[in-house]
Amino acid sequence: MLYREAGQFKTTYGADQQIFPILQDRLFVLAVIAAAVLVVPLFATQYLYTEILIPFLILSLAAIGLNILVGYCGQVSLGTGGFMAVGAYAAYNLGLRVPELNNLVIVFLFGGLMSAAVGILFGLPSLRIKGFYLAVATLASQFFLDWLFARVKWLTNYTPSGSVAVGETSAFGWKIDTPAERYLFILAFVVVATVVAKNLVRGHIGRSWMAIRDMDIAAEIIGFRPLRTKLSAFAVSSFFIGIAGAMWGFLRLGSWEPLAFDINRSFQILFMVIIGGLGSLLGSFLGAAFIVLTPILLNQMPGWLGVGMSTALISHLEFMVFGAMIIFFLIVEPHGLARLWSIAKEKLRLWPFPH
Amino acid sequence: MLGPFLETLIGGLLTGVLYSLVALGFVLIFKASGVFNFAQGAMVLFAALTLARLTGEIDGREVHLANFVIAAAILGTALAFVGWYAWREYMARGGGPAERNRMAVLAVVGAVIGGAVAWFYGKGSWPLWVALPATAAIMGVLAYAIERLVLRHLVNQEGIILFMATLGIAYFLDGFGQTLWGSDIYKIDLGLPKAPIFLFEDVFPGGLLVEPGDLVAALIAGLLVVVLAIFFQKTRIGRALRAVADDHAAAQSVGIPLNTIWLIVWTVSGFVALAAGVIWGAKLGVQFSISLIALKALPVLILGGFTSVPGAIVGGLIIGAGEKLSEVFLAPILVRQFDLAGGGIENWFAYMLALIFLLFRPQGLFGERIIERV
Amino acid sequence: MKRTRSFNEVLLAVENISLSFGGVKALSDISFDIAKGEIRAIIGPNGAGKSSMLNCINGFYHPQQGAITYKGVRRSQMRPHEAAEQGIARTFQNIALFRGMSTLDNIMTGRNLRMKTGLFWQALHVGPAAREEIEHRRAVEKIIDFLEIQHIRKVPVGQLPYGLQKRVELGRALAAQPELLLLDEPMAGMNIEEKQDMCRFVLDVNDEFGTTICLIEHDMGVVMDISDRVVVLDYGKKIGDGAPDEIKGNQAVIDAYLGVSH
Repeated sequence: MLYREAGQFKTTYGADQQIFPILQDRLFVLAVIAAAVLVVPLFATQYLYTEILIPFLILSLAAIGLNILVGYCGQVSLGTGGFMAVGAYAAYNLGLRVPELNNLVIVFLFGGLMSAAVGILFGLPSLRIKGFYLAVATLASQFFLDWLFARVKWLTNYTPSGSVAVGETSAFGWKIDTPAERYLFILAFVVVATVVAKNLVRGHIGRSWMAIRDMDIAAEIIGFRPLRTKLSAFAVSSFFIGIAGAMWGFLRLGSWEPLAFDINRSFQILFMVIIGGLGSLLGSFLGAAFIVLTPILLNQMPGWLGVGMSTALISHLEFMVFGAMIIFFLIVEPHGLARLWSIAKEKLRLWPFPH
Repeated sequence: MLGPFLETLIGGLLTGVLYSLVALGFVLIFKASGVFNFAQGAMVLFAALTLARLTGEIDGREVHLANFVIAAAILGTALAFVGWYAWREYMARGGGPAERNRMAVLAVVGAVIGGAVAWFYGKGSWPLWVALPATAAIMGVLAYAIERLVLRHLVNQEGIILFMATLGIAYFLDGFGQTLWGSDIYKIDLGLPKAPIFLFEDVFPGGLLVEPGDLVAALIAGLLVVVLAIFFQKTRIGRALRAVADDHAAAQSVGIPLNTIWLIVWTVSGFVALAAGVIWGAKLGVQFSISLIALKALPVLILGGFTSVPGAIVGGLIIGAGEKLSEVFLAPILVRQFDLAGGGIENWFAYMLALIFLLFRPQGLFGERIIERV
Repeated sequence: MKRTRSFNEVLLAVENISLSFGGVKALSDISFDIAKGEIRAIIGPNGAGKSSMLNCINGFYHPQQGAITYKGVRRSQMRPHEAAEQGIARTFQNIALFRGMSTLDNIMTGRNLRMKTGLFWQALHVGPAAREEIEHRRAVEKIIDFLEIQHIRKVPVGQLPYGLQKRVELGRALAAQPELLLLDEPMAGMNIEEKQDMCRFVLDVNDEFGTTICLIEHDMGVVMDISDRVVVLDYGKKIGDGAPDEIKGNQAVIDAYLGVSH
């Protein structure tokens, strides 16, 4: 009975166009953010931070980026890993070569911008090609970028092994060292990025993306410029993905090789978007949570059941579970976990009356 | 200069034949059902793993009991299914009712055979002439399962949704194959001569080095293409397939059973995957990376057009030759010019080639031009 | 309702247009004009080239021969979005709404050409961006009122019945405040009441906003009632052009519809 919108009248278009028109939703989101900032640090262990919360938040951001491209603009990309790598290496090189700018906020934004630029470049073919043709074209970017970071020595500062390590991580004099600090820093970034993403998708730019997604020919005929629209989606999407890549390198790994951003990373993020829900920002978070938590649960399972399983077997099972979940969601609920959530909310609105 | 060039070219063309073979599987399914089957690579891996495991020695390696059980169940079901299908065809020429009883009998027979197979499997390696049909049967069942469990539920969905579904299938199959058969690197031994052959020794100093395995592979691939061409052009099923490819609804309205056709197509592409898997496995060993090497078939498709069988062949040859030539002749120049840590441009060269090609001819070499309507 | 109105200013002129796909000739040597403020109908049997004609006018197809003059400017090959920028909007024979979006959002897309705030303000969604959004929402709400679709404002269009989808599509085209509105079979598949509603909307648009309308329609009763002038196409050729009464008496047109061996 608590979840009701009855009695909440909108008297202006502004009020009707809020992100969360229903009061209870607003309160709920604020409560979640407050809990993430205030309550989580009270009990979180190092393991919870580094293995669950930090990967979850960073990959959520990457999933939001990809969701803008795939879910909102309808352009399938298998090059997410490559764009994350661009963000990570751009951030690394800026911090290394211009020490005055070695501030996490600045290098992350720089990583995002470089990634956006590369995204625009590899988005150019989207004017001529569609659907899985485009998916194959984005694979080209993935393999090319993989190769680039493995072979061009300047990008990895001539380290013999090709792996790079970041030095001090700080922002505006705040030294970000402990897992808790990293977590809070990432959380702040992700919250801001989510608000920005939401603003974009509910405005006229977001509508232009969705128009291209739903029917590109009609969109062009009513006046959308297809190239500009698609490239703006590529740019914004790659921007978020680039920031996520930089965060992954700096705050999750600390030191990394090109392999950290290979094609499996691309598939992983794409699966988050599909399982979470195409065209839903909430879904990006749900999908990321699912993909981060499933392997952890699978690893715990043999212990709980008292069965011995080799790690190889567990990783194979992981493949099977992900594959099966993708198929399951595409068949049963193409809008993913996010739709299940909204169905639950709908039920709650009517509760305790069935209709 | 000409000698090494030709040698590289021939090596590239022979690799290209393998790309063509994988691409052929894609084309078959895309033509008949409009599904872009990303799982073709995983099917190749699965086929190769199965065959390698059935023919290979189990040399004291630990084998899970579960593997036996699952293998037995699959093989049993496969055999039962094949038997049931043959029986049904037989009965269709004048049989009666009581099909349910027959199916029960066949299930029991299948289970018995499966049990026997498991026992036999536990004892050791199979000869190729037993393992090959068994693997083919397993691929048939796999195709049936994919069609029945996944694609039938996604009829009339957008192409991109189907594409992502096959991505899921690919992941599942990669995991399933390795869970079932283990993830060690296996070798498929076809008993081919290993010694390299030297051609045109009187024309070039030292002659041109060619691997006999590659030649055999090229022969098998060529044969397969001819067989498929005849199958498509001359047989009743082939005509039905082409009708379905042209227009699903129209084909259905003249009485062509869509589901059966799709099942056949998936099975045939399963066999093509088996052929590709055998050749790849014999050449490079069976391991997980086969699944990724099959991604090379994608630029082939773009080059050749998604619906063209000759396109898949020509595209494969171009890509195979192009990437080998680029690696041997272009990469050293790049390494010198830009001070790179090694070449390896063949990893992306094919994709870039295809991408540039796409910009000028989006429908591919042999594809049809698309007229858009509103 | 019979009207006789006279127009003198030509808004769009089509001169000697020929269009072919491969070897198939879709249009051959078509010329006609559309006067500012009139309702112009294009009729003809199936496959006569009517939709191809509209596609040429809004830049989706590019005719091999001939020229189109719009607002006194003879134009060369243009992309559809350029036509939209110059004030040509249209609806489609097979509904081409954005199925994943609500009615409101669909109609809002019609305003897109007029929404100028860039990525930066959009990302913040304050100041100019918020003001712009509300200002255009107001314009769209007027159209929603006009078309009497307030109740389905937030419903995804994919869930709407056919007749309402047609109405939403008209709303999207109107939102662009076009000078020339192309309607491709706006009443196809509708029942008599829906047709009457749609006729009323078309006439009101023409009267109230002064929008020039060019429509394709199969219902002869409707065409003869609401249009000022009619062009008749058959097998890609023009066989008649004039006021509804003249067309009714035109022998070539009667032959085309009743079928006379050529």
